[in-house]
Amino acid sequence: MKDLIQTLAEAWGPSGHEAAVREVVLRLLEGHVDDTRVDALGNLVVRKAAAGGAAAAPKVMLAAHMDEIGVIVTHVDAEGFLRFAPVGGILTGNLIGTRVAFEDGTVGVIGSEKRDDASKAPKLDELFIDVGARERAGVRQKVGDAAAFRHGVDWSNGRPITPNHDDRIGCAVLVETLRRLAPGPNEVFGVFTVQEEIGVRGAAPSAFGVAPDMAVALDVTGTGDTPEARPMAVRLGHGPAIKVKDGGMIAHRGVRALLERRAEQAGIAVQLEVLTGGTTDAMAIQTSRAGVPTGALSIPSRYVHTPSQIVDLGDVEGAVRLLVAVLAQPLEGVVDGR
Amino acid sequence: MNLDPEHWLGRLTEAPGVSGHEAEVADVVREAWTPFVDEIRVDALGNLIALRRGALSRTAGGAADAPSILLASHRDEIGLMVTLIEAGGFLRFTTVGGWDPRVILAQAVTVHGRTPLPGVVGARPPHVVPPDQRSKVVPLDELFVDVGLPEADVRASVRVGDVITMRRRTTRLHGDRWTGKAMDNRASVLAVTLALEALADRRHAWDVYAVATVQEEIGLKGAATAAWGVAPTLAIAIDVSFAKQPGAGDVSYKLGGGPLLGFGPNIHPRLFEGLRTAAEQLEMAHHVEPVAGASGTDAWAIQVAQAGIPTALVGIPLRYMHSTVETVALPDIQRAGRLMAHYIGGLTAESADGWVDDVAWWDESD
Repeated sequence: MKDLIQTLAEAWGPSGHEAAVREVVLRLLEGHVDDTRVDALGNLVVRKAAAGGAAAAPKVMLAAHMDEIGVIVTHVDAEGFLRFAPVGGILTGNLIGTRVAFEDGTVGVIGSEKRDDASKAPKLDELFIDVGARERAGVRQKVGDAAAFRHGVDWSNGRPITPNHDDRIGCAVLVETLRRLAPGPNEVFGVFTVQEEIGVRGAAPSAFGVAPDMAVALDVTGTGDTPEARPMAVRLGHGPAIKVKDGGMIAHRGVRALLERRAEQAGIAVQLEVLTGGTTDAMAIQTSRAGVPTGALSIPSRYVHTPSQIVDLGDVEGAVRLLVAVLAQPLEGVVDGR
Repeated sequence: MNLDPEHWLGRLTEAPGVSGHEAEVADVVREAWTPFVDEIRVDALGNLIALRRGALSRTAGGAADAPSILLASHRDEIGLMVTLIEAGGFLRFTTVGGWDPRVILAQAVTVHGRTPLPGVVGARPPHVVPPDQRSKVVPLDELFVDVGLPEADVRASVRVGDVITMRRRTTRLHGDRWTGKAMDNRASVLAVTLALEALADRRHAWDVYAVATVQEEIGLKGAATAAWGVAPTLAIAIDVSFAKQPGAGDVSYKLGGGPLLGFGPNIHPRLFEGLRTAAEQLEMAHHVEPVAGASGTDAWAIQVAQAGIPTALVGIPLRYMHSTVETVALPDIQRAGRLMAHYIGGLTAESADGWVDDVAWWDESD
């Protein structure tokens, strides 16, 4: 699991630039799935057939997004400094001094113009990227080039810190689940989506394409266990969180109940999540076609959307075990569970 | 078979049904609609979809291509949800739907735990509120619910994610005005019920899909999937709109002044004209409500479902929207029901034609 987390966290992939992550996922899943395809938006859809190839088996879609937040170059000035726009929900309050990496490996530092009031978060147009250029001619970056927070994994007290647990940790959970899962009563579609961070763009067409009978999104959620946090019951290390509600959706009650029941039967510690802001691929999947019973399983993460996100390995392992338990058995109570 | 609108207004509004948790109110709607419809089903999101067959599909033995009209009234209400159980058994909560935090303070509520628990939203005595804070709104993060039980009992009955509704009896004010919670949008569910009842007494050619949609208050979600699944020829969304009250502003309409006919880019002009003509034929008081952009109603989601659905918006004037004292005039609801039934009764096999090809949104002579 540690290697898997490391490998996925080191792949470069701001929204709209997920090819490298897709290649990594495909390699990690070799020999573990029955077929794979890439749709028009770049979503990777892998399929694991039901036992005996039963054609009428219910279709379950698990979705984790490959993209991460980042920045995109809007202007290169005469001195070679790069101005930029956000890709996804960048928090300007923690950007100064942050290192970003471009697709070719070039690393830049985010700098700031002089600021009269350092107590306020900087405005995006006061910031720029310095790639260490001596002159403009030496700058390889062009308008439209994207960068992600510089990658790397640190392990502190056994907990991994990365700039992109959101949502490579969800990808890790999905890969590991597909690896461990034996063919069962359900046809399982693992969907590694694109462009979640800029408005859950990939999930909608992938769900339309798969037309699942039930779906679960795998993503990170915030926690309420840090000093003076907003009231929230989720704590790091207390198990994966079964989503009740977030800023964009309310989980299907039947899916939520199924996850809770399987967790209880398998003796897996779980928490219930009510997140007041943000959302996941589940929002878009839920309203696909005539509606899909959709829930979400979240990995609690501190400092989401910053360059240093922390998760707990026990929560990750619990998520994998729970998903395997759900998929290995029939989906009872999902359609009539509201 | 005359249904008592006062009885149903009370039952529909008092039933709990916070967005995403609309099962109990569905039972009331099902009971109200069952006498008038041929089939009822529930879709994946929880929309209650009832079909009343028209003469065209009855005579053809259920022709799959009979024209149909969908009447959408959302049955969810705004509410609260537990986010944290604190020491002492106090419940922290977040909002579901668009609350004004000023009207939540000191309300009587019901916490839907393992069993429904009465509770109150606590408020600090004015005596202990520092003077500089008395004119400020108490932020949502500082509000809490007290169910009056010891912490251990609270933890045994309530979990994070449980929903909370406002506890409020629906009450008749003077004359035919009624006040309560969830008039938004159970008033419209009643209007659809009355339309179904009226259609039971007359011949109509088209199939009618009455839908009590879910999750309107958190983003028009049920309407989107119901419209995709039914794929009707036409659709009407019925929702409440602003009635005149002190401070309501110019875009508000007389309570008791009749239904509102929305007009704007969200509304198909031919369907609007059809409803207006129907109101004139009935000599029914009504107002045209300009809707400049997003209507904020199920009509907005329905219009762009599938390859596009001609959609109209019928409004019911309501005072004090998104509070626990939402106030309506019952005759407005009855008129809205009668109006829809009259329009639907006038639809023929031929009136299914031309919605896509012949309609100009702008005057082509310009």
